[in-house]
Amino acid sequence: MAVTAQALGASAMDPTRTGGDDRALASLFKAYTVSATFWLVFGTAVGLLLAFKFGAPDFWAEKYLTFGRLRPIHTNDVFYGWASIALVGCAYYVTVRSCGTQLYSILLARIGLWLFNIAAIAGTIALDLGYNWGDLEYREWPWPIRLVFLAALVVTVWNLLATIARRESKDIYLSNWYIVGGFLWTCVICVVAILPWYQKGLGQVAISGYFMHNAVGMWFTPLALGLFYYAIPKVLNRPIYSYALGVLAFWTNLVFYPMLGGHHFLFSPLPWWLQTTAIICSVGMLVPVLGGGANYLLTMRGRYHGRIESYPLAFLFVGVICYVFGSMQGTVEALRSMQAIWHFSDFTVGHSHFTMYGFVTFAAWGGIYALLPLATGKRPGSLGMSVHFWLALTGVAIYVIALSIGGTVQGLDWVHDKPFIQSVIDMKPYYLWRGVGGILMFLSHLVFVWNVWRMTAGKSGDAPSPIMESEEAAA
Amino acid sequence: MHNMLMGPLWGIVAIATVTGVVTLGCFVAMFKYLVRPGEKDPRHPKYDILRPDR
Repeated sequence: MAVTAQALGASAMDPTRTGGDDRALASLFKAYTVSATFWLVFGTAVGLLLAFKFGAPDFWAEKYLTFGRLRPIHTNDVFYGWASIALVGCAYYVTVRSCGTQLYSILLARIGLWLFNIAAIAGTIALDLGYNWGDLEYREWPWPIRLVFLAALVVTVWNLLATIARRESKDIYLSNWYIVGGFLWTCVICVVAILPWYQKGLGQVAISGYFMHNAVGMWFTPLALGLFYYAIPKVLNRPIYSYALGVLAFWTNLVFYPMLGGHHFLFSPLPWWLQTTAIICSVGMLVPVLGGGANYLLTMRGRYHGRIESYPLAFLFVGVICYVFGSMQGTVEALRSMQAIWHFSDFTVGHSHFTMYGFVTFAAWGGIYALLPLATGKRPGSLGMSVHFWLALTGVAIYVIALSIGGTVQGLDWVHDKPFIQSVIDMKPYYLWRGVGGILMFLSHLVFVWNVWRMTAGKSGDAPSPIMESEEAAA
Repeated sequence: MHNMLMGPLWGIVAIATVTGVVTLGCFVAMFKYLVRPGEKDPRHPKYDILRPDR
């Protein structure tokens, strides 16, 4: 049975009633995407410089450009500048459209965007001036700046909840569960990460594991998955394979994810039971990952040609594949026998790019290419999307493969008690390939800038509609 | 692998049993929905989002 857009045409929103809101929502979506794109280019330019410094550590070694200052600038800007703002922009569009209503407040959404940007700008300046909160990964920004980010989350989730409350339908569509869940959970982890009284000794270690992994799994993951549940059916013009499986994946993500951060501190003085629980929860994560991944792939079944003809779908497909395999890799990494080799090695850096780039960034791109043209009525060029896709995919593949092999060699050197300098010598060719992959990825971002220009302010391109023909029409 | 922080054996067994049962239950539910996805009612919300956006 297939219920198509044509069959549902009668329930489509009246454009005369929502025309003004359409324009305001499109303008908002554009603002979030343009802002996020700036942070993508800036954050990854810094990342490219860092990759270069592995081969030439003395290059640009002034104090403002040292590795210790630039590394957190790269990670925080691509996390909280690029990926967060891009996914929040998509989330606004998905929530409004899936609820069949108007956004509660355009003003609040713009305030949220300003707060996200103020936090990213202030955080970048603070880190470059040497004001680093310390050894707390992904929360290096001084705490007042993290409060600004928290304020952006609160403003945004208030706006989204108020929008959902005025929905036309009785049910809340699955995407909104993930989106609102992601916001609420992230508010919790941000508060936990700021409260000072247990941020010392082993408490600091436990909270660091809790925050650093949940910043990925309870923020970017639900937002990206919520986007998948809207964009994939939308592009394919067919409903998600199993709504119930999506609900199960939502709750199992909530059951297993919050406790798995401890697997970053295996063999540490953290209680052994906490480490074991983290490992078990890492295995339990196979449920939402395999169930969710299968759900997306079964939705795409029989439309294989679409992944070649439709670049929005191709981006989403790569995002799904990297979600499944990147997360499974994370489960394997969490096992003690594997951590004994890979801990502290560059394998982990490869893993984080596999997931944050291959999964989250490709999901954001897929969402933007699928939905922004629907909002603005402007499309990118086919060549631009194609060049972006293949440069980014080739770049991240080279990057992840190089660091996965190199990181394993590095870890085995340490296990075999070789001198540390031997592991540095062994990594040399892999650092070179890391740089090659990074250059390709960065070039793809410049092409993305061009594509965003065409979808927002420039002349519309020649790409076909992101929405594929329904199966009846295709037949 | 022994560790001085390992804790009492029965505590480990209890944690492994509870988390193991929960995990296995989730796997069973996942396979159930993969085989029988459900939702055949055309008024289900998953069909609503297919309407035109503009």
